[in-house]
Amino acid sequence: MMANIEEQELKDRLSLIENMIAEGRRTTGTWAWTFVFWGVAYYVAILWTAFNHWPWAWLVTMMVAWVLCWAIIRRKVGSQPERKPSTTVGRAIFSVWIAMGVSLSLLLPALGFSGRFNQNIFVAVVAAMLGFANGASGMMIRWKAQIATAIVWWVATVAACFGTENQSIIVFLIAIFLCQIVFGVYGMILESRVRRQEASHA
Amino acid sequence: MPELPELNPVIHGKLRLALLSLLSGVEEAEFTWLRAKTGSTDGNLGAQLLKLEEAGYLAVEKKFVQRKPQTLYRMTDSGRQALTEYVQALKQLLGAAI
Repeated sequence: MMANIEEQELKDRLSLIENMIAEGRRTTGTWAWTFVFWGVAYYVAILWTAFNHWPWAWLVTMMVAWVLCWAIIRRKVGSQPERKPSTTVGRAIFSVWIAMGVSLSLLLPALGFSGRFNQNIFVAVVAAMLGFANGASGMMIRWKAQIATAIVWWVATVAACFGTENQSIIVFLIAIFLCQIVFGVYGMILESRVRRQEASHA
Repeated sequence: MPELPELNPVIHGKLRLALLSLLSGVEEAEFTWLRAKTGSTDGNLGAQLLKLEEAGYLAVEKKFVQRKPQTLYRMTDSGRQALTEYVQALKQLLGAAI
């Protein structure tokens, strides 16, 4: 039976398998906005703390940001015509970010309430955690731009340990700008390109 | 001369092959997502999915999410095994043809 099958048909079948596997794994979700969103949230918390010196500023800003972020994600997912399936890599990346968020949400208030809060330690810990999450995500999806943001965060981690308090906050502000705002906007541009390509192929 | 392998007829259909390949890259997928990716009609898609389910290559879960019915398809271990064997057979046949 198989002897009659054309070679071209066999190649078409192989190519169909490859294309469909790639299509299934392709994640065209829009996540880049979350980088910009959290970058702005960090800036709000820093400004609030700088001008008001209210000890709860970071905690309140982060809690409000969590709720807002969750609400926007739910709204976006709900508005999609068909739910995108989850992939193992996608779930792994999501888990890394959620675990990092929970760690920071527990550690930072605990440092504050225990009286062991220090500006340098704060910047070093946040930068190290963000470096870890960006590094892990970037390595999983082999995205050099995200690995570059991880390197910026790791440089900020080391710099925060050696500089003065003011220097550490300047390093933090620069790292947020590069790794959250610039990287987020870059990701949003890439996502809109992919969406345009998908629309033109549809 | 070594004997050429036979291609699994359940998988060989284009739509069924596309469905199995799509599901091999994800954990589970909704009927509507599969329909969008393959561009097939509801009737044809349902019939081909049923054939794959009957062969034990897919597992189906039906549930309600926010009062809306949702049908989720997941590739089984035997489905993954069958797809792997199919790809190996294809490569062997192509190797023999070249």
